[in-house]
Amino acid sequence: MEAAASGMAAQQQNLEVIADNLANADVTGFKSAAATFADVSAAGTAGLGTASLGKHALFVQGKLERSGGPFDLAIDGAGFFCVEKDGRFAYTRAGAFSRAPDGSVRNAEGWRLRGVRIPADALRVDVGGDGRVFVDRPGAQRTPAGRVDLASFVAPERLRVLSGTLFAASPQSGEPHIFHPGEAAKTTLAFGSLEKSNVSIIESMMAIMTAQRAYEANAKGVQAADEMLRIANNLHRS
Amino acid sequence: MDGMQWMASAMRAARSQLDVATHNLANVSSDGFRRVTATLELSERGLVVRQSPTGEQGAIRRTNRALDVALLGPGQFLAGGEPTRSGAFVRDRDGYLADDRGRRIAGRCGPIRFPEGATIESDGSIRSVAGRMLDRFPLPAGTRIESGALETSNVNAIAESLTVLQAQRAFETAQKVLVAIDDTRSKAASDVGRIQ
Repeated sequence: MEAAASGMAAQQQNLEVIADNLANADVTGFKSAAATFADVSAAGTAGLGTASLGKHALFVQGKLERSGGPFDLAIDGAGFFCVEKDGRFAYTRAGAFSRAPDGSVRNAEGWRLRGVRIPADALRVDVGGDGRVFVDRPGAQRTPAGRVDLASFVAPERLRVLSGTLFAASPQSGEPHIFHPGEAAKTTLAFGSLEKSNVSIIESMMAIMTAQRAYEANAKGVQAADEMLRIANNLHRS
Repeated sequence: MDGMQWMASAMRAARSQLDVATHNLANVSSDGFRRVTATLELSERGLVVRQSPTGEQGAIRRTNRALDVALLGPGQFLAGGEPTRSGAFVRDRDGYLADDRGRRIAGRCGPIRFPEGATIESDGSIRSVAGRMLDRFPLPAGTRIESGALETSNVNAIAESLTVLQAQRAFETAQKVLVAIDDTRSKAASDVGRIQ
């Protein structure tokens, strides 16, 4: 009965992960997650069911889409944008930024993109594939205005999730390694584009159906074990 | 063995069959899991269940994630010394290949170091960006590796659900017979020899 119950718990956990993926299927820069499970065995028994090993984000590239936002950036390849708020550092692949009045470049939650400052009189902004930012000012074409650097981690799957698309370094992920896009790294930036979520709605829906059926089958197992105990109890008649 | 012991062994056997089926069902989402079969056998101790692992390959699911690997053929990975066919790996902060529980994956000698940009080839070798061989999964000859994919559990949920029902009914039947034998004996003990 414990084995079947562990199966129900596993499917429940699986469903939670899939539901979270689905809920974020339209969120820019979101990375889907996957839960992994393994069997639990002990010598001399039929097996003790299953146990969760944990879950990890799947850093598979999402599709890039032309967007036309004022400061939209997408990463094509591995790496994260480095953002900062109130002295805290975070890392994200969501690149919907815009110019703030103080010259900084921020996302909707107020996280500032590090390394870039746009002068107030800038008329036009352009970011190259290598992260170099140029602005056109009255009387001065293509003035440098900083560079967008990216961070990579030895173990990105072990980053701490702050919110849907925002991550922070953790002891398990290792320290961020800051690099310039476009150089040796195969990563480049696309200005005027956004990276869509890498969740496949069809696959997630199928996974939900499978998990639901598996949950039901395990519930039947619990029922059957319960029924056997009931029958065994009825063996003794007064 | 008398009839009662026979039926008791049948009930125990049905119970073990259910245990095996529920264990299989619980692992329908465990990547790389191989289901266990329970076959009934006659012995001098009545009906017994013999458990044996199966070797059928699970279906291959494409994930397109570089660190997901599926074994095509026999063999196993060693995660922290424990054999497993589950190949959903991550890198840990020291650059070693590990599973979600943090257990490192063994190569030819010691845990596998997996530098940035390295690839897992179909022959089980791990190559650096420059194409130099760094390590190799200890696999039997002939077993290939598909990267960007996972081997799913080979449990068939429908077949296992049927086994659950069958075991439940077999348990019930054995119990009914057991009660019938008990009734007969009770009659023999109390009614035979009674003078009316």
